[in-house]
Amino acid sequence: MLLRELHYRLQRFLFYSEIDHWLTLLRIGLALQIFLYCLALRSDWIQLFASEGRGLISRDLTEAIVSVENVVSPRLGWIVAAGNYLGLDQDRILWFVWWCLLCGALCLLVGILCRSAAVLVWFLHLCTTNSAALFSYGVDNFTSIGLFYLMLAPLPDRWSLDARIRPTTPKDQRVQGFHRRILQMHMCLIYFFSGIAKSVGVGWWNGTSLWRALTRPPFNVISPDLLIAGKNILPVLGIVVCVAETGYPFFIWPRKSRPVWFASIIGMHIIIGIAMGLYLFALIMIVLNTAAFGPGLIGSKRLALKERPTGSR
Amino acid sequence: MLAESATFFPRSLDRYWRTGQAITSIPLGVTLSVDNPIRQGIEAYLQGAGIEAGYGYFAPNVPNSYKIVFELRYADGRTDYELPRVGGAATGLRLTSLFDRIAEERYEPLRAMFVRMLTYSLWQDHQDAVSIRAVVGYVRLTTPGEFERGQKESYHVLFAYDFDFSKAKPPGR
Repeated sequence: MLLRELHYRLQRFLFYSEIDHWLTLLRIGLALQIFLYCLALRSDWIQLFASEGRGLISRDLTEAIVSVENVVSPRLGWIVAAGNYLGLDQDRILWFVWWCLLCGALCLLVGILCRSAAVLVWFLHLCTTNSAALFSYGVDNFTSIGLFYLMLAPLPDRWSLDARIRPTTPKDQRVQGFHRRILQMHMCLIYFFSGIAKSVGVGWWNGTSLWRALTRPPFNVISPDLLIAGKNILPVLGIVVCVAETGYPFFIWPRKSRPVWFASIIGMHIIIGIAMGLYLFALIMIVLNTAAFGPGLIGSKRLALKERPTGSR
Repeated sequence: MLAESATFFPRSLDRYWRTGQAITSIPLGVTLSVDNPIRQGIEAYLQGAGIEAGYGYFAPNVPNSYKIVFELRYADGRTDYELPRVGGAATGLRLTSLFDRIAEERYEPLRAMFVRMLTYSLWQDHQDAVSIRAVVGYVRLTTPGEFERGQKESYHVLFAYDFDFSKAKPPGR
């Protein structure tokens, strides 16, 4: 009896009925992210990905290191080898990849050929991340996470051009709900462990870590003279960061605390973007949070009524 | 992370953290040989899903910032100093990941290879330099108290490498 009840509750939690607004937000947000990623790296594209001693760190070396861990990791070397076979030189192929990523992002933005564009962008982004693994940081991981979910999600959403041009039977709302739930739970894991990891360091409780994060080159956008004026609030802000992140999985679900927690997390990422110059990192975190917990934030009572499971008994 | 970083837990617990790490990494296949298909499959999935790394950015503490300075020497005895140059701010942020990786690389030949490649990349813009010394160091950040007392951040050398370009030929010639 208890097992049956648990099974029912779990099913109700995972396969709840959901409309696809979250997917629209994820698709458009990731499209913007990839579009800006391409533009931001445009001036250094060849330097980052070239081999034969023309890059900062040769792509061959990075790919060799990556392939020690995993021989099937997608990498630009595969595409370059295929292009070479067709008689194209390295620069042309690398620019071709850049244009494919950009066009894929534009397709996602308007929602045309959604599935194909999502798979293409995921694959090419993974190739670039692996081939420049020595230069990668958190933004690449989170973009990969988002693209992975988007690629598997029940596309196209109702706001995409695909859905307008070729109307198909609506996707099962419980499948929509399941995909969104997985993203929500993943976000909870991310913040919880990030918060715990910060909380065990002394520096986040006395403001030192926040001071160091904001004065560490190249994130030192704000003058230290300005920061020192507010030194007394640094410990408070450090603790707020720890509490906001660790408390995320506990306070983002209840309807009453969700708006406050959501706003504080989004606010934290906006501040990180502005104060540390991490615009792309801020954007991807805002996109993932908004897709996961944004829809239904206001008027969630009305949506909650729709969340009743169908056919689960 | 708990075993290797400064946390408020006593160091005597480090061995327990290591045991915990060893146990929790079994499902990830890291105890299998590198070419084991199961390990390769798990690794491919983790990379594809973007979940191969943990979520501890700037945690538990914010590390020092690493830096590479190049000292260029010319045939006429001149000496210039240069920093690695990139075209955009977005790549500039990515350089910090590279510097962290170089400074924390424990396998010396690989670290030397990274520095050699960066130096060679710089030399292509200064082909009249006959030798370049690459100095890898870290920037020790001040605390708020030290900053108030007028103390500035300081640069500390970790490794230095000398590269001779007197007989090098420009690429593509």
